[in-house]
Amino acid sequence: MNTKVLLVGGRSKAQSLAISLLKNGYHVTVINETYEDCLKLAEIDKLTVINGDGTRPFVLEDACASDADIAIALTLKDEDNLVICELCKKKFHVKKTVSLLTDPKKTAFFYKMGIDSVVCATTAITGIIEQQAFVDKIATLVPIGEGRINIAEVPILGTAPVVGKKLWEINLPKQVIVGCILRGDMTMVPRGDTRILAGDMLILISSDKQEVAAIRELTGR
Amino acid sequence: MQLFKNEKGNKDYTIIVGCGRLGANLANTISDEGRNVLIIDKNKDAFRKLSPSFGGISIIGDATDFDILQEAQIDNASVVVSVTDNDNINIMVALIARDLFQIKCVISRLQDPERECVYREFGIDTICPAVLSAKEINRILAEMSTSEAVSSEVDQ
Repeated sequence: MNTKVLLVGGRSKAQSLAISLLKNGYHVTVINETYEDCLKLAEIDKLTVINGDGTRPFVLEDACASDADIAIALTLKDEDNLVICELCKKKFHVKKTVSLLTDPKKTAFFYKMGIDSVVCATTAITGIIEQQAFVDKIATLVPIGEGRINIAEVPILGTAPVVGKKLWEINLPKQVIVGCILRGDMTMVPRGDTRILAGDMLILISSDKQEVAAIRELTGR
Repeated sequence: MQLFKNEKGNKDYTIIVGCGRLGANLANTISDEGRNVLIIDKNKDAFRKLSPSFGGISIIGDATDFDILQEAQIDNASVVVSVTDNDNINIMVALIARDLFQIKCVISRLQDPERECVYREFGIDTICPAVLSAKEINRILAEMSTSEAVSSEVDQ
């Protein structure tokens, strides 16, 4: 059986999420308050679109919320997202609820209210902007665990200060480890006495936002 | 600094969220009774509805913002009443007051009776004007029909 996903609110977010979910074989229903947005969304193939206020129980009922496996609230208003998730959880018994959140201070509160996953757009976006501003083109970062942990891909150029050094000779921050080294076709899990060579690609795992310091240490930039 | 002094040490401090007709009316009444009241609204013009003799405090701001609630010293409140014109904001304020600040008495106004299940689940008292009005109109209609029945009996 296909997993059924219910998206409530949001225009471009709902659009791109719906396209990507449909591509992965999910059943997707979108609820949107604005008629024009609904027309735009209805152009997407195989997507069910409901025009209405998703914070109203009968609109959720029209969208068969009780059949949904995952409900995702994407509106820009925190209070609407909270009510959407609460209704889905309490009234329609949706197994998993996900909410977008604008105010980072409310993250813990939303979790306390029983929402399964809270995505704080503000924190996520400032995180990405910070990352882009400081490690631009030096490394690729993949945030996991809501951005508490980052996996970074750091290419080591010939000019990097760590070339030729052993791992234990490098002064990496405590919250960072080099998890893997990609050298040509070879991959290896390094030890303290592994020497870093020019052209290596290091895979860093870091927590506590230490990746910027670590990348500076490794690349000298 | 404490906004209100409690002479007897017992808490009597009401926070009202939303200075509409209902909120302002309630705030005026509580203030006239000589009790402590604080009212929050996003729009400073809303406070015009308060009577000139209003003796409480008014704060301009978004009541779903924790900083504003801290400023209102919500920790000291005995009652929180959320009566904005937006049901979803009322739900959020009520949940924040109840679950984050442990306010025992939280009352909300609800325009759409359908959303009541969210409140019921969390044990928040609701006032639904639509339901109240319908009940009252029904009561008046029932009274009228009985008095009509009585008067028609008298006529016979």
